[in-house]
Amino acid sequence: MSMRKSRYSASRRSILKASAAIGGTGIIGSRSAALAQEASPAASAPVSVVAERASGEVRLAGAGDAIGQEIIQAQLDGFAAMYPNISVTFENIPAEYLVQIQTAIAAGNAADVFFVQNEFAQDFMSRDVLLPIDDYMAEDGITADMYYEPLINAYTWQGALYGLPKDWSPIGAVYDPAAFESAGVTMPTTWDELRTALQTLKDSTGSTALALDPNFDRFVIFMYQAGGSITNEDVTAITLDSPEVTQALEYFYALYSDGLSATSVDIGAGWPGDAFVQGLTSMVFEGNWMFPTLNDQAPDKAFAVAELPQGPAGPGTPAFTQAYSIFAGSQNPDAAWVLTQYLTGAEGVRVMMPYGLALPPLPALEGEFLELWPERAPYLAAGEYATSVQYGPGGQTFATDANAVLQTLFAGQIDVTEAQAQLVAAAEANITLNR
Amino acid sequence: MAGFPSRKPRNPLAAEDAIAGWLFITPALIVLTLFVFWPIFQVFRVSLFEWSLIEARGPFQGFGNFRTLFQDPDFEIALRNTIWFSVGVVPIQTFLGVLLAVLANRAIPGKTFFRVAFYFPSISSSVVIAVIFIWLYQQNGLINYVLRWLGFGTPQPPWLSNPNGVIDMLLGSFGVDNVTPWLAGPSVALLSIMMMNIWTTMGSLMVIFLAGLQGISEDLYEAASLDGANKRQQFFQITIPMLRPVIFFVTTLGFIGTFQVFDQIFVMTPGGSPAKTTLTLGYLVYEEAFRGFAMGLACAIAVVLFAIILSIYFIQRRFIRESGLE
Repeated sequence: MSMRKSRYSASRRSILKASAAIGGTGIIGSRSAALAQEASPAASAPVSVVAERASGEVRLAGAGDAIGQEIIQAQLDGFAAMYPNISVTFENIPAEYLVQIQTAIAAGNAADVFFVQNEFAQDFMSRDVLLPIDDYMAEDGITADMYYEPLINAYTWQGALYGLPKDWSPIGAVYDPAAFESAGVTMPTTWDELRTALQTLKDSTGSTALALDPNFDRFVIFMYQAGGSITNEDVTAITLDSPEVTQALEYFYALYSDGLSATSVDIGAGWPGDAFVQGLTSMVFEGNWMFPTLNDQAPDKAFAVAELPQGPAGPGTPAFTQAYSIFAGSQNPDAAWVLTQYLTGAEGVRVMMPYGLALPPLPALEGEFLELWPERAPYLAAGEYATSVQYGPGGQTFATDANAVLQTLFAGQIDVTEAQAQLVAAAEANITLNR
Repeated sequence: MAGFPSRKPRNPLAAEDAIAGWLFITPALIVLTLFVFWPIFQVFRVSLFEWSLIEARGPFQGFGNFRTLFQDPDFEIALRNTIWFSVGVVPIQTFLGVLLAVLANRAIPGKTFFRVAFYFPSISSSVVIAVIFIWLYQQNGLINYVLRWLGFGTPQPPWLSNPNGVIDMLLGSFGVDNVTPWLAGPSVALLSIMMMNIWTTMGSLMVIFLAGLQGISEDLYEAASLDGANKRQQFFQITIPMLRPVIFFVTTLGFIGTFQVFDQIFVMTPGGSPAKTTLTLGYLVYEEAFRGFAMGLACAIAVVLFAIILSIYFIQRRFIRESGLE
């Protein structure tokens, strides 16, 4: 099952889902017991003021596999105990989430609260499909700075906020400490060190040390680290033609053409994480979804975790996130808000932490999370500097085009200069700029 | 169409028949109208508007969507891939279908087994088959294993990740480089999906051809053998001409099916990867509608697809008529 999904890590969310599906039940037993003792209801966020006038029914839509649904059910049980006036119906959309939510919106029949992934958030926000929540936040004393900044950025459009992040993950480095030790290398911290380390590892182990696919959402690692971007901050101009992007593209492609990185399909793996699990490479740049995969498929494998090496413009990594947003056509927005603030607040987030499928969006919960998952500190540290993976309205078809450009580059049919020109053309053709 | 009252009924009995006829077809008619005719009508209508599906419908565009489409490089890529797919798959699957039917029609031991074995892929879910073929085509999958065992080495990059055109590769080995994209042929990735598609459909074509074969009177073969025709002559002078209506039927369905190919691309090479060489018109409709927020444009592609399929049908019908079959 996870085969198709993970084959193309272009769809990171699918991998998250696939790995969540296999995320071991083993971890949950032990860790949730530990959490149950420490969860005290009064720990943080105040009880909602809006809740005093909210009541009735709300519908919640999301995409969950068995474990995902279990988590949501547990959260809704907690919600029911806290806000008995509001009853929630959960509607699970197991596949083709974006298609189904669009048709529901077109029919005016979408759930009051639903998942919005960072990839298509701008498409929704720019089309007034979601309800701005700034007034509700002010009323309930919730501020944007309670969340990691890149995650808030993902749901901010022209000064208004359209959703609160429920979880997230950056891309970090997972590596095999034994291979590093026997090659005599330590985790590289710069682009130059990365090349040297990969060469040394290759000489030592005899195989390519890094699995990296020609996907735009992996290329952005290097683009952010070089200081490049797709559009300017206001989304009024395409900035992909900058020398920073050239530098990133040259570095990214040279890793592959010099044999320092390999694509996962070339070495016989479904996706980079799979290559690491199978022992085909000694390092991968992947998200938090690596950990459930490792736990399930290679529970005995030793691994170490680090922040990504830094580029010429400093640290940088993409942040993938998912928010709860309120449908602009909701008949019961007050109750929808109460549900949203609960699910994205400390009480709701705590419920999912022992499952370890994603990181908490609230810096206040860092300590509690690291008690459960101490090895993931480098991932949480990326909350300081990550960039939400968003390419502007139209970014999804841009991503398809951009992936094709990188695949053509890796196939040797075009060079870096031509690839950059094609990326610029793809951005101009797909991304809707603000006027 | 026996139930339709094409003229004013002449007597009360006929009127009663007509009413009964309409009553019988009403449930089916309602379902078809709601879920087939109405959506088809909507596709034509929406193709004239700008619409993102999640907003109120945008302004009337006239043929604006079609103009956009004909300037869109993706449309050209998708059209090219679809044509390669169709032109590659339909003749081969039809030929293999006839061949299998003739073989399975003989009195050979285990005949039923072969019939079932070849038909089996047709009744399996195409998604399941696609997933299995992803494994078969993997770098360390069964197909490469067999190739290594036969001493051919391992193709690099793997089947479904190779964007190079097969004709381009062939010409390249003769020193001809830089052919135009239209002449480069399907990519190795698209060819891999085509081979799977042929394997999946030839069984169901075999069954259709078997029925056709059994409709050919034995007398014809007897008469031919009395006249001294050998097996080969019988095949080309009797079997093939007698099968012509079936061949027309099968190739028409084949073109319709291959021009609409979507599910296998969706499962095996999402996004039309590698490098859009498996992007087909059917997939482009999906991509524009649900990921590009351009339902109007997607419907325009569907209308163009409809026009292409309709013209193929008419061309084929013309051929058949000229060969004096109808």
